Amino acid sequence: MDRLEISDLIVAFDPHDGRRLPVRRAEVVEQLRAAGDARAARIVAGLPAGPDGVLEPAAVDRLLIGVHTELQRLSEELRIGRRLVHLLGPLLTAIRTTGVRGPYRLVDVGCGLGYLIRWLAATGALGPDVELVGVDLDAALVGEADRLARAEGLSCRFVHGDAFALPEAATVYVSTGVLHHFSEPALADFFRAQGASPALAFCHYDIAATGLAPVGAWVFHRARMRHPLGRHDGVASARRAHSDEALLRAAAAAGMRALLYEPRRAANPFCTTLRPVLAVRPPLEAPLRAALGRASRRLLGDEHFTPAAA
Amino acid sequence: MTPALPLALLGLTDAAFSGFRAYAGRDARIRKGRANVRAALRGLAVGAVLLLVPALAAVLWLAAAADRDRAYDTLAAGGRGFLLPLTCYAVAVALSLAAYFLLPFRAGTLAMVIGLGPLTLLRPLAVAAGCLAALLNGGGRPSLLVAGLAGAAVLCVEPAVHRRWYREVR
Ligand SMILES: C[S@@+](CC[C@H](N)C(=O)[O-])C[C@H]1O[C@@H](n2cnc3c(N)ncnc32)[C@H](O)[C@@H]1O
Repeated sequence: MDRLEISDLIVAFDPHDGRRLPVRRAEVVEQLRAAGDARAARIVAGLPAGPDGVLEPAAVDRLLIGVHTELQRLSEELRIGRRLVHLLGPLLTAIRTTGVRGPYRLVDVGCGLGYLIRWLAATGALGPDVELVGVDLDAALVGEADRLARAEGLSCRFVHGDAFALPEAATVYVSTGVLHHFSEPALADFFRAQGASPALAFCHYDIAATGLAPVGAWVFHRARMRHPLGRHDGVASARRAHSDEALLRAAAAAGMRALLYEPRRAANPFCTTLRPVLAVRPPLEAPLRAALGRASRRLLGDEHFTPAAA
Repeated sequence: MTPALPLALLGLTDAAFSGFRAYAGRDARIRKGRANVRAALRGLAVGAVLLLVPALAAVLWLAAAADRDRAYDTLAAGGRGFLLPLTCYAVAVALSLAAYFLLPFRAGTLAMVIGLGPLTLLRPLAVAAGCLAALLNGGGRPSLLVAGLAGAAVLCVEPAVHRRWYREVR
């Protein structure tokens, strides 16, 4: 059985209007116990709840903002921004060469505190013709992302919304650390919605599903995160990470050219903590490979994966 | 040669890094250069104060000893023992840091994954190994005491700075 992440369970939103729904602490504790995760159950049992047993929204928000702030430190140390630009730079070059006029819009789905978008805005790494937008289902997190962006005078935007309803049209959709939150069927829906939109490409980074990932996640979250919730969810997410094959299969639902960059067979697991599944409109593949140069050998499509390897 | 100077340097450098770690993960802004420096200076200040404890213990023990030269030699032997595992640790950290900052990001990730991350977790072990080596190198109980105090001081810097300045997310 997949491990559950506490942060997925202690907040709930109405899928139609994004309204915050009450979460009963006892129900979450029970769910975690039933999944055999006594430690997670204890962590949740220690969270504050009102007399009605509903988890206190303000306390949960504070906790999640704290955990995401620590999570951002991992992204900083692992240089997630640069890793993304390494691929997104050439992708935008490819888009520019095919004659599509700018400005282009990059939308980070499930942006959390918006580190990636704010880092891109602060560094200008993708160029002035790229508009930067972050989207998240969690109003407290996007609110904080927006506050942080304004505090530093960064030119980017944050929007409250659901990944499956795509509140913002994009030229390119991206995400980091979000895919493992979705089941395989949901993942296909997520990609399908992007394929049906006018977007030219998407590029979603998630934890590389290697044997090393849970061990590495344990070491890192132990060394760098303080709250037990962050430590727990860090390891759980590494365990839940989708395999290369599962990602390619799901991405095929978009009806675009689905590719993996630096999958297991093309990269050293010690050097690749997050790797993306991407898809481009078919005419973009050749210019993307040209813009990537030698690095394009790390870009593999489903012809490199045998169907039985799932 | 007296090991006091390299030990003090190592202790203060570690304190500065501890200050940085106490702050890291508490501030989600992008531009944190100045705040990082301030945190490192706070670590340095706290470390300088805490490291006075083992320094004072060593001085007092020397002052009270009947045969000062022998007492000094004993402490110096302990200090050299203490220094050995800590120097190995410091070299590993320095190499990882150099790789992290100087090599391309893929190799930088490697330096983080097999170097800096695990090394943070191994810090208390390195201190324990230092104490043991102080004893085994002929430093006797006084060296063990001073080493223990120094180790405790160094390990307390990060929680102390965190608690004093960085309890809350900013
Ligand atoms: C592990 S966090 C990653 C946050 C950020 N991208 C990062 O790398 O630090 C996953 C984020 O996805 C968001 N999320 C989950 N389901 C979502 C959905 N259906 N639509 C939008 N955001 C969603 C959560 O609110 C959470 O902030």
